[in-house]
Amino acid sequence: MNFWLAVFRQVGRNLHQTWTSQLMTFLTVSLSVLIFAFFYLIYTNMLGAGDRLSDDLRLIVYLEEDPGPEMQQQLRQKINNFDDVEKILFVSRAEAYERFATQLGENSDVLTDMPKDFLPPSIEVVPLQSLRGYNKIKLFSEYLKSLPGAEKVQYGQEWVERFYYFTRLLTIVVILSGTLLILTATFMVAYTIRLTIMGRRDELELLKLVGATNSYIRAPFLIEGILQGLTGSIIGLSALYALFRWISLHFEGPGPLNLFQFTFLPFSEVLIIVSGSIALCSLGSYSSIRKFLKF
Amino acid sequence: MAENENTENTMIEMIKVSRIYEPNITALSDISLSVGTGEMFFLIGRSGAGKTTLLKLICNMEVPSKGLIEVAGYDINQLKGNDLAHLRQKIGVAYQDFKLLGDRTVAENIAIAMEVSYKKPRAIKQRVKDLLEQLQLVEKHNTITNELSRGEQQRIALARAVANSPRLILVDEPTGNLDASTTEQVMELLNRSRLAGATIVIATHDSSLYRQSKHRVLELRNGTIHSLTEGDQP
Ligand SMILES: Nc1ncnc2c1ncn2[C@@H]1O[C@H](COP(=O)(O)OP(=O)(O)OP(=O)(O)O)[C@@H](O)[C@H]1O
Ligand SMILES: [Mg+2]
Repeated sequence: MNFWLAVFRQVGRNLHQTWTSQLMTFLTVSLSVLIFAFFYLIYTNMLGAGDRLSDDLRLIVYLEEDPGPEMQQQLRQKINNFDDVEKILFVSRAEAYERFATQLGENSDVLTDMPKDFLPPSIEVVPLQSLRGYNKIKLFSEYLKSLPGAEKVQYGQEWVERFYYFTRLLTIVVILSGTLLILTATFMVAYTIRLTIMGRRDELELLKLVGATNSYIRAPFLIEGILQGLTGSIIGLSALYALFRWISLHFEGPGPLNLFQFTFLPFSEVLIIVSGSIALCSLGSYSSIRKFLKF
Repeated sequence: MAENENTENTMIEMIKVSRIYEPNITALSDISLSVGTGEMFFLIGRSGAGKTTLLKLICNMEVPSKGLIEVAGYDINQLKGNDLAHLRQKIGVAYQDFKLLGDRTVAENIAIAMEVSYKKPRAIKQRVKDLLEQLQLVEKHNTITNELSRGEQQRIALARAVANSPRLILVDEPTGNLDASTTEQVMELLNRSRLAGATIVIATHDSSLYRQSKHRVLELRNGTIHSLTEGDQP
């Protein structure tokens, strides 16, 4: 009880005496949290959108002729030879016509003059969830193209390609900004605490002489680190949330962005970022005070 | 704090202790000495004789180049971390250069010694008030120590040394800046601590402190023991 009373008094003194550098550290920590969380938020939203895209991902192999049952069996065999797939669906000319008609709904009367076999037959291949990497899909589509009777393979190539590269880029940005967060948070806090220690050298020296335990000397600095990490990350994340609200408000409504259905980071990830930032800042402060207590 | 049987009556035990400062200044050589629990012990000698060095060795501010030092039964140079901290809480030191925190008030400076052993804030306040009364410095309670005179600073350093009721009190030149009547107050304070059971070692130039007393007096000369008078105190 008295231990904590004394410790918190010391924290107050430190904050009071070095508040300018404390403020700088606090701003740096919040800014790095903001930058990291910003990219991370975009990243998770991209992944979400990617999932939604790839849920619908299917390769459509257009055929020259309706395959007979024997031929279907052979094709199935060949596709499965390349890799296991989730689903193979044969769509005959007639079925294609039916589908198209249902899609048109009320307007289906435009089809009345068309021959019922004007649409090509096709195979719809749904790859396994685990095989949906960009390169695999590409290889798979080339293989499907070589099937007997195949005319063309479609899966929204351009989309998938662009999306794939963008996600790769974001991964790199997230890793870089994460590193930035780790470096700035740890070093800035270590630096401020070192500054505080320099300013209070006489006092810390005296505390040791009158028999202060190491934990008594260390605790105020650790608390400072924890406070920096906590407030810095909370402010950084709050700023990001404000930004997020603003973007959602201004870009809401139908449009291409709707694919992304912007969502904020789940609470568990917010907690992870906050505790990660606290851990880093305490680490920074611990390393500084350790050096001092050594001798 | 537990003590060994045979050291129950010995607070400080030094065996063949030397302290050599780099490159070759021999501050102390081959000092063997034993100070009993509850004793008041005087350390005298010319400037540079090694008095301060001896006190620093006893409170582990300096380490001996050779020899063994035991305080309250503990080999003080083997103690580390919390054990050393807890022993230091039981040793009050009034340094020759005071080591006061110049930007803090008198009360805060005295309180530090008690805060490190987590005394209750109310107890600390009361003790600080009592000490300042005994030293007639009550009106300086909230003064920044940098603004005090040397003599006042010296007494604050002493007050901090005795504040936590330590079992061993080391005092380095306690009266160098004081007039006769203030000196008397200081000695009274130290005597009161001794009667409460503390062992006290005083390094001084001031012969009036020990001349008429019955306490033992050790004279150092060039880092060696020149003489040790027998007192009739335990
Ligand atoms: N840190 C140090 N480095 C080098 N030499 C030192 C150091 N401290 C003390 N000395 C030397 O050790 C010798 C003893 O010094 P000490 O301070 O113990 O003397 P003292 O008896 O306390 O003197 P005074 O009465 O002036 O306080 C002196 O010659 C001094 O120069
Ligand atoms: Mg001296």
